[in-house]
Amino acid sequence: MKKVVSYIALFVLGFCFLMPFIIMVLGSLKDVEYAQLDPLFWIPDDPTLKNYKYILSDGLFLRWIWNSVVITVIPVFSQMLFCAILGYIFAKKQFIGREFIFWVFMGVIMIPQQLLIIPKYIMFSDFGWINTYWALIVPEIWGIMGVFLVRQFLQGIPNDLEEAAYIDGANDLQVFFKIILPLSVPVVATVGTFSFISNWNDLFQPLIYLTQEKMFPVTLGLASILGKEGNFGIEMAGSAVSFIPTFLIFLFFQRFFTEGIQMSGLK
Amino acid sequence: MITLSNTLTSKERKKPLLIRLKKEWKKNAIVYIVLIPILIHFAIFQVYPFLLSFYLTFMDWRVIGDPEFVGLKHWKYLLNDSLAWKAIWNTVKFSIYYILPTMALGLILALIINSGVRGAKLFKGVFFLPVVTSFVIIAGIWGWLFRGTEEGMINYIIGFVGIEPQLFLSNSSQALAVLAGLSVFKVAGSTMIYYFAGLQSIDRQLYEAARIDGASPFKIFWNVTFPLLKPIHFYVAITTTIGSFQIFDSAYLLTGGGPNYATTTIVYYLYSQGFTSLNLSYAAVLSYVLFFIILIISLIQRRYLGKESNHY
Repeated sequence: MKKVVSYIALFVLGFCFLMPFIIMVLGSLKDVEYAQLDPLFWIPDDPTLKNYKYILSDGLFLRWIWNSVVITVIPVFSQMLFCAILGYIFAKKQFIGREFIFWVFMGVIMIPQQLLIIPKYIMFSDFGWINTYWALIVPEIWGIMGVFLVRQFLQGIPNDLEEAAYIDGANDLQVFFKIILPLSVPVVATVGTFSFISNWNDLFQPLIYLTQEKMFPVTLGLASILGKEGNFGIEMAGSAVSFIPTFLIFLFFQRFFTEGIQMSGLK
Repeated sequence: MITLSNTLTSKERKKPLLIRLKKEWKKNAIVYIVLIPILIHFAIFQVYPFLLSFYLTFMDWRVIGDPEFVGLKHWKYLLNDSLAWKAIWNTVKFSIYYILPTMALGLILALIINSGVRGAKLFKGVFFLPVVTSFVIIAGIWGWLFRGTEEGMINYIIGFVGIEPQLFLSNSSQALAVLAGLSVFKVAGSTMIYYFAGLQSIDRQLYEAARIDGASPFKIFWNVTFPLLKPIHFYVAITTTIGSFQIFDSAYLLTGGGPNYATTTIVYYLYSQGFTSLNLSYAAVLSYVLFFIILIISLIQRRYLGKESNHY
């Protein structure tokens, strides 16, 4: 009896959670204008790839995807590298001010990014970074949260292996690349997936720093066509295309998302 | 012991500075090579903007020309700015619509996938999917579902139970709730992960003991499971509260703060003051209001977690 209730709830909720994605895919296959849409429209009839052909032949949309790739891929890899090294330093090295610096980091993490965006807008105007990739890449090359995650992870690992390596005459760099990094693959993958999601999905920062359509990432580009009459199929096709990278990363790295969420929360 | 350590340190001190520096460099070169550039980066992109923002609140910042010192002008303006207070109240209302449903739905999802059903792993992924999906995608679909005409999907569904078509996003008393619903849908999956971890850490013997005592499943849930999840309830409540005060994307995408400022949240108001009206100084004041609210919530969390950390 209890099992039956569980299964019914599972399927009903599962359907509800998938429905928006189903609407997205079916909507993208429709050759109908927004204004004419019928509530029951997503029961498929006469699917067409017209919307996909339209957006993929549109130079602007491809440019948006490319912009998203640039402002996502660079921070993802630099975050993985820097957060790994910094996490290692804060977990394993002894140096003056270590606790103090980390304490400052943990304090600053409480500052909402919406507070920093106003002064950053002024700074980036001075730097000439408005409407450039710099404004979205340079501030994101490392992150406190990632350092925290790696440090947390490495503190739970005994020092035996490194000590053995030091006795064998290895230096810090060798210890980091040959011992620490291979051990930290799961947590570094978590840092990478988190970074991917936050950069790929970011709307607020591009909205502030970018005004030229050709510099938009795909989030801001889609936002600019959102809700315009006659665009529903195109909008959904655009959404679906921009969702593919997220979906693939999620499919292969789901474990790192969920483990990362648990690690960041329940210390 | 004391004398021994004293002699050791004085011996250390007697060594020339250069040699000591060399020794430290040999020991910690990697620290200095990596940390110094990172700290410079940290100072430029985190510390300096934080201070500049505070300074800004006392200035009249202009797009062209030098800023002018105006003292507490913007802070005083805040006290009499009814729209700012409305934005804060809207955000509080949003939190009320959003926090408990997110927690409840997250807990329900966690209970279901923890109940030993088949395919739990797959469904865990399904429930988590909206968390990684961008607001833009979900808002596009949400806006379609909640169209305020008779052709709207949700209006069509509620028509079956005899409810009149609703305006939803164009109705100033419904729009905020529709946006909150979007956030519940988007965030419940991550709440589920916390609760799932909590459920897994509960000792199964407690359930056995309760069952032997003849407690019903419902009673076991209320008297055993629910109280044992207390640290999770607290943690999730804090994180969703902080998140709810930063809500912006859905208001920007779906309502533009309207109708009649009904969905103007703190961050949306900050955005429109700063980047539509180009009143950056006043936007900085508003951002400090947001900061103080989040700071207070975080301090409550730290105090409480400090006390309760023994549980985990």
